[in-house]
Amino acid sequence: MTGFFQTWKGELIKQHRNYFHSKIIYISLFLWPVFSFITTVYSYRSFEMENSAVSYLTQENLIVYLILGYMCMSFFRSLVQSAWRFSSERTGGTLELIFLSPANRLAVLLGNASSSLVESTVVMTVFGAAILLVKKEELYAKFGVCLMVFAVMLILALLWGVLLNALFLFSRDTGFLFTILEEPMETFAGVKVPVQLYPRWGRAVSFLFPLTLALETVRRCMLEGCEMKELLPLIFMEIVLGTAMLGAVCVIIKAAERHVRRAGNLTLF
Amino acid sequence: MIKAENLSKNYVVKVKGSSLLREKRTVQAVKNVTMEIEKGQIVGLLGVNGAGKTTTIKMLSTLLEPTEGVYLFDGIDAIAHPMEVKRKINMIAGGERMLYWRLTARENLWYYGQIYGVPPKALRQRMEELLALVGLSEYADVPVETFSKGMKQRLQIARGLVNDPDYLFLDEPTIGLDAVVSRQLRGHIRYLARDKEKGILLTSHYMGEMEELCDVIYVMQEGRIIQKGTALQLAASVFDRKKFLVELYDTEGSGTERLKQEILKSDPEAVVEEKSGELTITGKRDFSYRIAEICSKNGLLIRKLYEKEPNLEDTILRISSEGRAEE
Repeated sequence: MTGFFQTWKGELIKQHRNYFHSKIIYISLFLWPVFSFITTVYSYRSFEMENSAVSYLTQENLIVYLILGYMCMSFFRSLVQSAWRFSSERTGGTLELIFLSPANRLAVLLGNASSSLVESTVVMTVFGAAILLVKKEELYAKFGVCLMVFAVMLILALLWGVLLNALFLFSRDTGFLFTILEEPMETFAGVKVPVQLYPRWGRAVSFLFPLTLALETVRRCMLEGCEMKELLPLIFMEIVLGTAMLGAVCVIIKAAERHVRRAGNLTLF
Repeated sequence: MIKAENLSKNYVVKVKGSSLLREKRTVQAVKNVTMEIEKGQIVGLLGVNGAGKTTTIKMLSTLLEPTEGVYLFDGIDAIAHPMEVKRKINMIAGGERMLYWRLTARENLWYYGQIYGVPPKALRQRMEELLALVGLSEYADVPVETFSKGMKQRLQIARGLVNDPDYLFLDEPTIGLDAVVSRQLRGHIRYLARDKEKGILLTSHYMGEMEELCDVIYVMQEGRIIQKGTALQLAASVFDRKKFLVELYDTEGSGTERLKQEILKSDPEAVVEEKSGELTITGKRDFSYRIAEICSKNGLLIRKLYEKEPNLEDTILRISSEGRAEE
C-alpha cells in the first residue's frame, strides 16, 4: 500500500509541475466554461420557464441549475483533457519508462487524474461557489447529504478519468475519444439542456456518461432538498457504475500492457 | 545473472495497399538470440541499423514479450514474472527523450524514485549522490529544457541509477554527443561495472566505444547473433593475416628498400607497402623475428616495430560482408 500511495503522490506532483507551471493556465481553464455558462444563462432568459419538464427547475433557480451543471462538468471535462494530455507521455518516451518500472499502473493513472481534478477545476469551483452563495435562497440542500453527494460525484469523476487514461494507454490512436467524449458529454449529460427534454435516443446516449447520473443527484440534493433515503437509489446506481468502471480499468490496464508488450507499439507515436 | 536462450520476437506489420484492407505480415525481428550477462560485466551488442539490437534490449528489459525462448533473470522466469525483474533493472537510451523537460533535474530524479518506491530518506541521499556522480549538482534545480544535450544524457544516467539496479541496459547512450562528453560517459559506464558491480548491456554504433568498454561482444546481423567474443577474439577469428609496421633510422631510404627486398625474398606471398619511410608488411606468418634478424645482419637500426591489431570496425565490416556473401 505504501508503494501505491508513493506512486500516486509522485505522479500527482509530477503532473502538477509538468503542466501547471504558469498561472495563466488557470485563467484559460476558467474563462472557457464561464463564457459558455453566460451564453447558456442568457439563452434561457429568452424563454419562459413555467411548466418546465423538470420539476425542480424554475425561472428563479435557473442560474443555480446551470452553475451546478457547469461545476460538475468541469470535473469530468478536466479528466477527459487529462487523459488526452497523458498521451504526450508516449511521445516523450516517458510512458515507456513508467512501463519499465514496477510502479502500480492504477496508482499512476489515479495520480494523473487526481492532479487534473484538483488543478483544472479549482477556479471554476470557486466561481460556482460564489454564485451559489449569492443565490443561496434557492438552495435547499442538507449539509450532510450535500457532502455525501459531492464526494460520490468526485469519486465518479476520478474513476471516469482513470478509465479514459487507461484507454489512452492502449494505443496512440485513441485520441479520437477526446473528440467523441468532450462535446457530446456537455450536450447529452444535462449540463445545459435537461436530459428529460431529449427524445428516447438522446436519453439513451446520456446514460453513456457518468456525469448524467452524478449531475441529477447533485441537483436533486441542492435544488429539491432531497433526503439521503430519497437519493439512495441514485447513489446506489453511482456506486454500481463506479465499481464497474474500476473493474473495467483493472482489466484494461492488464490488457493494454499485454498488448503493448506483444505489439511493441509503446514508442510509436 | 541474465541468461537468455533462443529468444525470438515476431511482429505483425500492417502493409498499406491500394484497397481499404491492410495486409498483415509477420516479421521476425530477432531470431534465436542466446546470451549471458553477469554482474560487473559489460556486454556489447553490435550490429548495423535494423540488426535487432533494440528489440533484444527491450525483450531483456521486459518491455517486449519474446515470441519464443527462455529468459532467466537471477534464476527467475522473467517472461512469466516481469514485475520482479523490473525492480532490479533500468534502461538508458540515447537522445533527449525520456525526461520531463519542464521539471528540474532533481524533480525528474524524485519522480522516478517515487515510482520505483525508493524510501524518501534513501531517495534524498541517492539523488544528491547521483547528481554529484554525473556532475549536475550545480544544476540540480534548473529545468531540463535549458540543459545541453550532454547534460540531458548525464541526467539520463542518473535517472537510470535511481533504483540502484543490478543490471543496466544502455541503448546507444552516447549517440549524438561530442567526444569530451562521450568520454565522460564511458568513464561512468566503466565505473558502474567495475566499482559498483552492475551488469551492463551496451549497444552502440561506435566501435571504439565497444572495443574500449566491453568484456564480451555479441555481433548481430538480421536478427541473429553471428559472432561472440572479445574484440581481439573477434578479430582473430576473422583475420588470418598479420600486419606489421616497421620504420628504420634511414635517411637515404636504402636500408628500408633492402629490408623490403629481404622480406619478399623470404616470403614471396607477403605484401609489403612503403609510405613515408614506413613499411607495412602483411602476411600469414609472424614477421617480427625475421625483421629483427634482417636488421641485425645488415646493421639497420629500428626506429619502431609493432604488430597492428585489426580494429573492431574492420572486424565488423568483414563479418558483415562475409555474412552477406554467404546469403
